[in-house]
Amino acid sequence: MKPILGIRQFLALLFLVLAIVPFVANPYIIYVCNSILLYIILATGLNILVGYAGQFALANAAMFGIGAYGTALLQVRLGVPYFAAAPTGAVLAMLIGTLIALPALRLSGIYLALATLAFAMFSQWVLLHWNSVTYGGGGFPVPHLNLSPIPVGPDLGIYYLSWLVTIALVVVAWWISRSRIGRSFIAIRDSEVAAQCLGISLWRYKTLAFAISGFYAGVAGALYAPMLGYISPEGFDLIQMIIQKSMIVVGGMGSVVGSVIGATVMVVVLEGLRAFKATQEIVFGAILIVFVIFCPRGIATLLRRLPGWDEPVSSFDSARYRVEAPSPVAAAQPVREKP
Amino acid sequence: MAILSIRDLSVSFGGLHALKDVSFDVSEGEIVGIIGPNGAGKTTLLNTICGLNRTSRGEISFGGTRITGRAPEQIVALGLGRTFQMSQLFPGMTVIENVMTGLHRRTHAGVFAAALRTRRMREEEEKAAEKAWQALCYVGMERFAHRPGTALSFGQQRVIEIARTLISDPKLVLLDEPAVGLSVNRVGELDRLLRRIRDERGVTLIMIEHAVRLVMGMCDRVIVLNFGTKIAEGAPDDVVSTPAVVEAYLGKEFDAKRLES
Repeated sequence: MKPILGIRQFLALLFLVLAIVPFVANPYIIYVCNSILLYIILATGLNILVGYAGQFALANAAMFGIGAYGTALLQVRLGVPYFAAAPTGAVLAMLIGTLIALPALRLSGIYLALATLAFAMFSQWVLLHWNSVTYGGGGFPVPHLNLSPIPVGPDLGIYYLSWLVTIALVVVAWWISRSRIGRSFIAIRDSEVAAQCLGISLWRYKTLAFAISGFYAGVAGALYAPMLGYISPEGFDLIQMIIQKSMIVVGGMGSVVGSVIGATVMVVVLEGLRAFKATQEIVFGAILIVFVIFCPRGIATLLRRLPGWDEPVSSFDSARYRVEAPSPVAAAQPVREKP
Repeated sequence: MAILSIRDLSVSFGGLHALKDVSFDVSEGEIVGIIGPNGAGKTTLLNTICGLNRTSRGEISFGGTRITGRAPEQIVALGLGRTFQMSQLFPGMTVIENVMTGLHRRTHAGVFAAALRTRRMREEEEKAAEKAWQALCYVGMERFAHRPGTALSFGQQRVIEIARTLISDPKLVLLDEPAVGLSVNRVGELDRLLRRIRDERGVTLIMIEHAVRLVMGMCDRVIVLNFGTKIAEGAPDDVVSTPAVVEAYLGKEFDAKRLES
């Protein structure tokens, strides 16, 4: 039986709604939806590293910043056009993310968290104090996206660019998770020793997970700079990291659709409470506590019980490999279905 | 011909000598049991063979290749398999996906093939699933294929671990207490399965085991470790009556004859 609203249908519906939003909504709603798109990228990338590969790293906000600053500074300082600067910024974040993997090969758990946190602090410090390159704590304006032969304004331009890129990256993450790469990540997360004894190279797959999440954060940064039209180090601090982490906790660790749901829910909550500044943090904290205590594996894990909501880490036709319905007799002597 | 040859192997952790000058050979197609009291260094020995521990001294060669100092994934690639005392099935996967993971070294799709879902990657995935299904049928666990591995009993999990190892066609499999926690009937089933693996697939087996019946009935040869050194080696019946072995298990000044009568 085909599920009426499985993961695929849900994602298609969500992105369809996001595609229609600019036609019916005011600029503020468009901005919120654009944020949702970028946070979907960030949460998906972070989930590959933390949820799938089990590497508790805290440098994602820094990678986000490196992608944004890389893209913006190339444009502003060197006059590089956006469509060359953005991929460069993303790849830069990926490379630096890969370098952070080096301590991860020796550290795990809380030690890895501390090492990557130190790096995040360091990069924040560089953004704040290396004035001659980064313009320091005050930030700087970034040129808006100019798509000029195509007749769309800069806001809609960056919105639909984000929309396309987000869909592509979610699909890619979904596909990676359902391959031997995804299985290798989970194997390392669940048991490093068993993974090694099956021939999975720890350093290779840990590095790969860091590279992928660095790339995702870098891409989000490259889209973030022209969306805001202005960037400053504040956007990439520890709070940013905690927001991203909360998205994958609420959405579901080790779940692509969970990253999407978590990002959407948390952006909506944070924006919805923006008018009541003091409550924002209280509600944010309360949500985290409630989820950590009552639903530590996130919304996606609750939804997994519904038809069409399980997320396998393989992609084969599972209907081909089933034992016939077990009857008391068959259970004693299982009938094998010819594959 | 010796498939595994260990010479003067020593392993120490800090000042603790976990293994001291252990030497033995294992021939192709043999079933070798490793026994010894708790803390004798049995698991350390298996871990060292698969490259999880650093050796202090000595050499291990597997299939004629020196493997001392190599990374586990390189040693595994030469045809070594390993199962664990505490089941190490991956909880985040179904049973069949666990077994598919055993094919890691035999499949090749890289991150770009996976990200773009190339046709070759999909074909490889289907083939991997088919092989995993066959491996599950071989050990008689196919009815659990789509369940999470952790939903099964420990004994079943260990059999699935064996399937996960077998799928990559290893030449030698190291089993760490495969019978622990099994009922008498299940031990009999395990006995038959392991013999079948040796006889039909020509896999050499080395196992740590405390289930005396399993060791006595199945092993061609038994190696006894105590405090990191090899104290006896030989046919199971001969070894258990060796004074050094009796002493290791039961202590000194104990008349083994009295125990038997």
